[in-house]
Amino acid sequence: MFALVHLVPGDPVRLALGTRFSQESYDALRERSGLDQPLVEQFFTWFGRALTGDLGVSFRSGETVTSQIAERLPATLTLAFASILVALVIAIPLGTVSALRPRSIVDRVATVISQFGISVPDFWMGIVLILVFAGTLGWLPSGGYVPISEDPGAWLQRLLMPALVTGVVSGSVITRFVRSSMLEALGSDHVRTAQAKGLPTRQVFTWHVLRNALLPLVTVTGVQLAYLLSGVVVVEIVFSWPGLGQLALQAVQARDYPVLQGAILLFAVVFLVINLVVDLLYTAIDPRIRR
Amino acid sequence: MTAGEPVLEVEDLRVRLRTPRGPADVVNGLSYTVGAGETVAVVGESGSGKSVSVLALLGLLPARVATVTGRALLQGEDLLTMAPDRLRQVRGAGAGMVFQDPMTSLNPVLTIGRQLVEGIRAHGDVSKADARSRAAELLREVGLPDPEGALDRYPHELSGGMRQRVVIAIALSNSPSLLIADEATTALDVTVQAQIIDLIEGLQDEHGTGVIWITHDLGVVAGIADRVLVMYGGRCVEDGTVDDVLERPAHPYTRGLLGSLPDLAAPVGPDGEVPELTAIPGLPPPPTDLPQGCVFWPRCPVRADPRCETEQPPLAVVSRAPAGGPAGATASGAYTGDGAGLPHRAATWCTEGVDGGSRG
Repeated sequence: MFALVHLVPGDPVRLALGTRFSQESYDALRERSGLDQPLVEQFFTWFGRALTGDLGVSFRSGETVTSQIAERLPATLTLAFASILVALVIAIPLGTVSALRPRSIVDRVATVISQFGISVPDFWMGIVLILVFAGTLGWLPSGGYVPISEDPGAWLQRLLMPALVTGVVSGSVITRFVRSSMLEALGSDHVRTAQAKGLPTRQVFTWHVLRNALLPLVTVTGVQLAYLLSGVVVVEIVFSWPGLGQLALQAVQARDYPVLQGAILLFAVVFLVINLVVDLLYTAIDPRIRR
Repeated sequence: MTAGEPVLEVEDLRVRLRTPRGPADVVNGLSYTVGAGETVAVVGESGSGKSVSVLALLGLLPARVATVTGRALLQGEDLLTMAPDRLRQVRGAGAGMVFQDPMTSLNPVLTIGRQLVEGIRAHGDVSKADARSRAAELLREVGLPDPEGALDRYPHELSGGMRQRVVIAIALSNSPSLLIADEATTALDVTVQAQIIDLIEGLQDEHGTGVIWITHDLGVVAGIADRVLVMYGGRCVEDGTVDDVLERPAHPYTRGLLGSLPDLAAPVGPDGEVPELTAIPGLPPPPTDLPQGCVFWPRCPVRADPRCETEQPPLAVVSRAPAGGPAGATASGAYTGDGAGLPHRAATWCTEGVDGGSRG
């Protein structure tokens, strides 16, 4: 990962200094940021510091990487969790309805909707929403981010559209999973046993179908959440949402190695943590994995 | 052994399934009765419509694809025209069902106790504690070691045989008058099979339950059944007492089935080689495209009558039971249930070579 970041052509020092600079200031900055050292040495220096929580200093702004990430994190967390909420609210009912009546009109409509969600580019959906709700109707601001602690109303207004866009995309993926895992659960032998026992339909559904269909749902939701937490770059740019995706993009453009490495490290940690949480949830809901 | 009051009377049961390859006639006019305390074995190859015919009785086929017609009276009430809510009450309380694969027929994420208790509580106003002690009692009755402890265990912690005992306990938890065992021992190894059969026979004697035992294992049939119904292509091709059907099979298909059993008493060749099993060549007809005449005609080695190919043979009496006395068969072929003189019937034009009786 470290090597890959450095393989990207372009000189960060040159980019940081702008178009007019002297050879002296170039050398000075290069030395200060440690870029004159051999790559392997640079790596171990960075890695050693990262272990102590010091991710270095941004080439561009001169702030510490940790403070830059900390500044962006609330916006990203807000958007990611709001999107996953939207996604589940769409996916669970839609997937269930299609599984209950496979190949019916409802199922076909649900399939078309989720295909639409998967295939339509998110920036396009974002722009359309902005044109309609911020432009024509003027109901919502077209972008930006306000912390909830400052103004909950403004926070919600600005969150709605980006959360809807990413939520629809993730929700479409999850819908397909809900449908297939629900279909599998519906057709399983133990559901027939439950029916043969004479249980009421609702009880069969909640305890024998839904309960078992939940297992794969936890996995996809985890994957989608990890993806959302790593920053949805395009949507963040469309809605000028100051999240980690934007930060990473700016870091790439400026060859701001410390910020980029810090962001990538964070994404990796996010993936690991979410995987761990998914595994723990699995043990909670599936007794076969316990012990 | 003797059958009491009929528990279940099935008349002209037909099941048509909608499939991508067109309508499939899976069950075509099946009629039989099961008396209290009686065991009726339904035998046939995979795809002969055995399982579908019983799932149809309890409305367990998906309504979107299955059309079920005919009559099925469970203690006088027609299961096929029953209101859905009444049918739900009858499932479990009127008729219990044991399925083929104990590995998949229990819910893996719920405890054994929960799965028993919910069945008990679905059919009566029973407190959780009472249902739980009833559940433990049932598990003891089906011979599960440490019944109280088993209540808190999950299906994967038990062996296949133990799981099947649990499934039987669930099926019997509301003392149904009819027990349907759909290939209940097929997935188990032979010694466990024998235990499960003993268990069901014992419980049946105790409670006077009528049993429909679906199997393709003729060894099991000989051991457990009072009466046998041989199914092929969704039709009953032969029925009668166990002795009649297994000793004096009248239908070429039944003879084929019996011929494909290994005969351990057969002489072994000089090099110790075992005589080859005679398999019935070919496959059962697809239910989307049943033959016009006798369903077995395409595979039949006899084909002694020109009508075989063109005309469906009716299910006709082959012989009276050796017990003598007036035959229990009425004109419509329905069994009147007085025990003695069960008719031996077969649907075939070819009755030559059947020992023990001829037609007419």
